[in-house]
Amino acid sequence: MLRYLLALFVALLPFTARAATLDEILSKVDTNMTYDTRETVLKMTVTKGDRVKVYRMHSYGRGADEAAVEYLEPARDKGTKMLKNASDLWMWLPAVEKTQKISGHMLRQSMMGSDMSYEDMMQASAWRKQYGGTVVGEETLDGRKVWKLELKATTPDVSYPRRLVWVDQATYIPLKQELYALSGMMLKSWIMSDVKDFGGRQFPTRMVIEDKVQAGSRTELVFEELKFAVPLQDEVFSMRWLER
Amino acid sequence: MLLSMALRNALRNRRRSLLTASMVMLGVACLTVAMCWIEGLFGSTINTAANLAGHVRVVDADYARREQLNPLHENIPDSAPLEAALRAVPGVEAVYPRITMGVTATVGDEIGEEFGLVQGAPIAFFEGPLGVPGRLASGRMLQNDDEAVIGKKLVERIGARLGDDVVLLGQTQDGSMSPAKVKLVGIVDLGNALQNRQIFLTIERVRYMADIPGGAVELAVYGADRDEGQALAALAKGLPELEGKDVKSWDQRPPFDNIMGLLSTVKGVAGFVMVFITGLGVLNTMLMSVLERTAEIGVMRAMGLRRVQVIQLFVFEALGISAVGGVLGAVLGGLGGLWLQVRGVNLGTIVDKLPATVPMNSTVYGQVTPEILLSAVLLGLTMAIVGGVVPAFRASRIEPVEAMRHRR
Repeated sequence: MLRYLLALFVALLPFTARAATLDEILSKVDTNMTYDTRETVLKMTVTKGDRVKVYRMHSYGRGADEAAVEYLEPARDKGTKMLKNASDLWMWLPAVEKTQKISGHMLRQSMMGSDMSYEDMMQASAWRKQYGGTVVGEETLDGRKVWKLELKATTPDVSYPRRLVWVDQATYIPLKQELYALSGMMLKSWIMSDVKDFGGRQFPTRMVIEDKVQAGSRTELVFEELKFAVPLQDEVFSMRWLER
Repeated sequence: MLLSMALRNALRNRRRSLLTASMVMLGVACLTVAMCWIEGLFGSTINTAANLAGHVRVVDADYARREQLNPLHENIPDSAPLEAALRAVPGVEAVYPRITMGVTATVGDEIGEEFGLVQGAPIAFFEGPLGVPGRLASGRMLQNDDEAVIGKKLVERIGARLGDDVVLLGQTQDGSMSPAKVKLVGIVDLGNALQNRQIFLTIERVRYMADIPGGAVELAVYGADRDEGQALAALAKGLPELEGKDVKSWDQRPPFDNIMGLLSTVKGVAGFVMVFITGLGVLNTMLMSVLERTAEIGVMRAMGLRRVQVIQLFVFEALGISAVGGVLGAVLGGLGGLWLQVRGVNLGTIVDKLPATVPMNSTVYGQVTPEILLSAVLLGLTMAIVGGVVPAFRASRIEPVEAMRHRR
């Protein structure tokens, strides 16, 4: 009897080890990709066929759901601000001195014509709280050893119900992602690179997102300045800041 | 002699002839009213649509392929050289660059979700082909880049008043948010709810909003008459500057490429049904007449009347009855058509569901034209031939001897 139990334990051991590994991987990925506070200056290059548009923005983030963005370039968008709080987003339009509220499914629409949605840009939720899944295996990606994960949403309120993720074994950065709709259609690919160390935290400073539904559409995001754990006043995430 | 005989025969049984003439009159009157209605329904809509879209329209070929999505990025970046080339085409009277884009419009503090359709074009386009000044419900035409004339329905929905600042929120050709603040200077009534959601702005203002500096999405080309559209399009296609562009006349593009054929079919079917039903009435009368006069025809045939003369006799009789009925029917139908032309019929909100390219008024007016009245009378005579020929042939085949026996 003891022999059978031992055999069963040995047989189940790989599965328990794999489940623990997924949890561990996601936990370390979340440690890198989520933050208490973050301040950054970003350059966003949107390419649609032969048209290229470049935006620069100053962005502040606090926790998973609070973010504030101010556009610095181009001139026609300078001063445009966005403020996200939980499931609502307000946009300040200086040309008309008005605030536009964006909520619900609109948050998953393209932000300023890019391949990122407002949620992609302004939300930093922990994957461990939103996804479960499996470690599909180990692969080599651009000469780096990675785990390939298949993640499926465990909560309904996510933008992408299924993700295939290639996580770097050395830095725990998701170097490559394929994002899928519930129907199984691939919506976007997301490449992260130029990983740098920020006081023990690894973070990619360049991202390339490609819309797989709209051919020839590509968005590159470069973090020109990036600081974590910066003290941010409550005012930054207030309507007063937005309309200042 | 045959004519006077035919007339005399028609008057022999006055009650029956009157009944037949009444049937023809009713058929012709119904047909006239129907044709006046169809002419009013389609005629004004087609005219407005051709004026709205241009007798010929030039767009980028990729824009034409995905037109329903209004892909602003598939535009004509520098439209001035193309406009100049088109103006040099013989028969072209005007060329207007245009940009159409969807926006939300609002008055007050918070930006709302009322949809509007911005039409950006030179002011001359609004004043000329579109006839906006004549349809202003209040206010005046726009005069500069900061002013707007807005459709009545949208103005009601957002609660705007003349002089208010209206905030429009659209997207540039790249998908960036594009807000604009304009002053409402005129309110226009274009006939139906969808058309009355339009916002008329200068082309320069919309070029900035859509971020298409110096460009246009469409070039609307006008000749002297909309019927010259196809000929103008053929000439314009030959221009080297228009290589890679989609050049079509208003009736070569949806929905009018189908509607024009449909319109002819509708008119044809209506005419056929009327001719068929009324022709049956004439046929019945004339057959009765042949039966009654079999012996008489026999005597006349025995006296030397030829078969072709017998046919003529009966066809003339049918034509006489139908001519009276046809003319009276055209007069009666014309009066009905005039009533429709003056009073109109309100179709309510049905027309609001039509696409923006079909600018139909919610009140549809009939249109009486000399062509309609003439064709109605001609159709009345056609009824006579349809209903009169068969009995006439039957009468002509009667043998004199058998006809005499028939009498006994």
